[in-house]
Amino acid sequence: MEVQLIKIEKRNDVSRSIYFLTPVLAIFLTLFGGGIIFYILGFNPIEALKFFFITPISDLYGLSELLVKATPLCLIAIGLSFCFKSNNWNIGAEGQLIFGGIVGGGVALLFYNHDGFYVLPIIILSGAIGGMLFAMIPAILKTYFNTNEILVSLMLVYVAKLLLDYLVVGPWSNPEGFNFPETRQFSESARMPILFGGLRIHAGIFITLITVFLSWLILYKTYLGFQIKVSGLSLKTAKYAGYKGKTMIIIVFMISGACAGLAGVGEITGPIGQLHRNISPDYGFTAIIVAFLGRLNPVGIIFASLIVALTYLGAETAQIFLQVPKYTGQVFQGMILFFLLGSDYLLFFKIKFLGLKKNEL
Amino acid sequence: MNTKLKVSEISKIYPGCIANDKVSLEFGSGKIYALLGENGAGKSTLVKILSGVVKPDEGEVFLNDERIKLNSPLDAKKNNIGMVFQHFNLFETLSVFENLSIDSDIKDEDLRVLVNDILKKYNFKIDLDIPVLNLSAGQKQKVEIIRCLIRNPKVLIMDEPTSVLTEQETDDLFISLKQFSKDGILIIYITHKLKEVLLLCDEVAVMRKGKVVSVSNTIDEKIESLANKMVGENLNTIKKKINHFKNSEEILKISNLNFKSDDPYETNLNNLNLSLKKGECLGIAGISGNGQNELFQILSGEIITEGTSIMFRNKEIGKLNPRERREYLMAFSPEDRISQAAVPELKIYENVALNNFKSSNFFEKGLVNEKKIKEHSKKILSNFSVNTDNVELKSQFLSGGNLQKLIIGRELITSPELLVCFNPTWGLDVGAINYIHETLIQINEQGKSSILISTDNDELLKLSDRICVIYKGKLSKIMNADTVTAEKLGILMGGGSID
Repeated sequence: MEVQLIKIEKRNDVSRSIYFLTPVLAIFLTLFGGGIIFYILGFNPIEALKFFFITPISDLYGLSELLVKATPLCLIAIGLSFCFKSNNWNIGAEGQLIFGGIVGGGVALLFYNHDGFYVLPIIILSGAIGGMLFAMIPAILKTYFNTNEILVSLMLVYVAKLLLDYLVVGPWSNPEGFNFPETRQFSESARMPILFGGLRIHAGIFITLITVFLSWLILYKTYLGFQIKVSGLSLKTAKYAGYKGKTMIIIVFMISGACAGLAGVGEITGPIGQLHRNISPDYGFTAIIVAFLGRLNPVGIIFASLIVALTYLGAETAQIFLQVPKYTGQVFQGMILFFLLGSDYLLFFKIKFLGLKKNEL
Repeated sequence: MNTKLKVSEISKIYPGCIANDKVSLEFGSGKIYALLGENGAGKSTLVKILSGVVKPDEGEVFLNDERIKLNSPLDAKKNNIGMVFQHFNLFETLSVFENLSIDSDIKDEDLRVLVNDILKKYNFKIDLDIPVLNLSAGQKQKVEIIRCLIRNPKVLIMDEPTSVLTEQETDDLFISLKQFSKDGILIIYITHKLKEVLLLCDEVAVMRKGKVVSVSNTIDEKIESLANKMVGENLNTIKKKINHFKNSEEILKISNLNFKSDDPYETNLNNLNLSLKKGECLGIAGISGNGQNELFQILSGEIITEGTSIMFRNKEIGKLNPRERREYLMAFSPEDRISQAAVPELKIYENVALNNFKSSNFFEKGLVNEKKIKEHSKKILSNFSVNTDNVELKSQFLSGGNLQKLIIGRELITSPELLVCFNPTWGLDVGAINYIHETLIQINEQGKSSILISTDNDELLKLSDRICVIYKGKLSKIMNADTVTAEKLGILMGGGSID
């Protein structure tokens, strides 16, 4: 039998513009792949894609919803970029989001009878601290006990979820809520200000934008950012340069957790207004895709969060108009990641065909 | 069963170096052959050719007078040539038996019988059903050997097999090898340890710079004669530099340094003592893998050993990390210039910023001072004749020589009191080597000290004021360079002792 021998070689220099263009290519491939899936399901692919990607944002309300969804995604992804850039694989942003939500929500319930400008900032701050502390668990276990942060951070997601479940069913459930698994509605002063009447878009978007700017500043203009960059490229060099590896792991996890916690508190004080079981439609996991689609670059992440937010909206529209389950949205998110990783592989490696050879096995 | 293996006129040329230059050797079964040489002498290339990993540019291999083609490791297996590499190729989480059955065509039941026979015959004690990760290095090596024995090898090649073994395991290995030889297997034993050659082997071929320089019976050889052949006798002619600072103050003192690693591929360091004077260059010779890497990292602060005393300019620095040691005016040039001393994906000025300390002001109040770093980088590029003035260039586009100049320049432009360098000239062309050598001599003349860890004896004899040898994690006595000859170095490097 003759077999084709192939060899995979690393490409030496990858052009910067193509590096930032491949995510766009991945999005087009996703549209194409999505079209095929719709076709197999018996829909007109063009029509279906239109329902999925155009209809949801063809009015003001739709655009506002897009920003409502993009706000937490962008915030979490920007935090994750600190971890990912320095080779720390924080997969548990969802848990940090929920824990931030729990802490922020707890404070909001505590201030149930208070009015005042100070209430909201305290809630937001405590949410950020909650996420930060929760993210420090995998960081400290990694630095002092050499555990794998992927496993620990992932498993802690379920801890946070179950804790939230317990709280909203048990001690924190609304006394007047007929045993529904939810807390009281937060008071007005504990809610994010709405920007335009009738739309759900809220002040959380400013928190996100400020965080993006600060992150850009830290990553590209500070010593900390430089150390993160070097550690991500070569741990050996970071060690040789004398960077404090352990401290840095803890710092990036803290930043990342604080961002996820902010996102969580933004959700419960923004669109939701209370704590219940499903405060996040897996934003913490989806943000991983956003971070990579945006090339871990602050500006890239803004665009990526808008695109991925659209898959959430599209899934809802598609559920209404095409009667397909809303999990189609996750199929699209999966495809984006799949095509991105695939095109990245071809971007960084080339495949050489070495010709036919007789198989002697 | 008689086996004859012959290599004839084998040549292999890599860009910039001739690894094998018309190598011809003959081997016959019943004897154990040593292939002896320093790093880079060409032994590994020859062995890789015999095991089908590397194809020669010229030359032929004959097994029992029949020409054989070795285009792949599979061809070597088919011709019953077995090879045990220095680094094990085992799946750690699989059991011993699973590891053996993976690349065997024999049915599992038959294989088990066969393996049990081998275990009994050679008195190996290994549990076949425990995962490989629970085995000691010596046992793992036995698994590799059994893997070869399953195929009834005519030739068994062992590549530096004792580098990961304890003394007891080494003795066991030698007993087994002698038994294999008695059973008619031709054994080729690659090493740079002179004692082992005399202890184990019948014939010895010495290689130097890609050529076979001598073939002889080991009974006719002594440690001294082999050492001479291995390192070459022409080194005494090199002019040594003059030490202007014979009676200067002591700048560095390390006492009773011990380091024990969890990694079996790392070398433990035992009771190291050394001291260094101002303006002096201390050379540390040795064949690579004898603890140089670990010693460098301990000097640079990448490894912090508990309770070790390192006094530098009368301050205890043993607990400081590399960046903190730089504050005390130490500088480091590691062996791996491509991916440790610099990051290939970073621009030149970013790589310069790696050597940062307070007075450099590269980062003020935590912010990057790009202008300052770039100015500083330009100064390095021009002062150390790096062949570019573009600080925005990614360092992956620099040639080895220019990259090394950049690194040495980065380390030296801050006028450190001590520079520790590890194989600073490996793989460089003659021009760059000369430049680096001149630079290293210059810093000594300016009263700055240096430690040169190198596997290149020419370089050591040319640059050092005092020399010692590291062997299996132990330092020899420190000798004045003018009393050191190539022969002495060779003996010490091969584990022998002098006087």
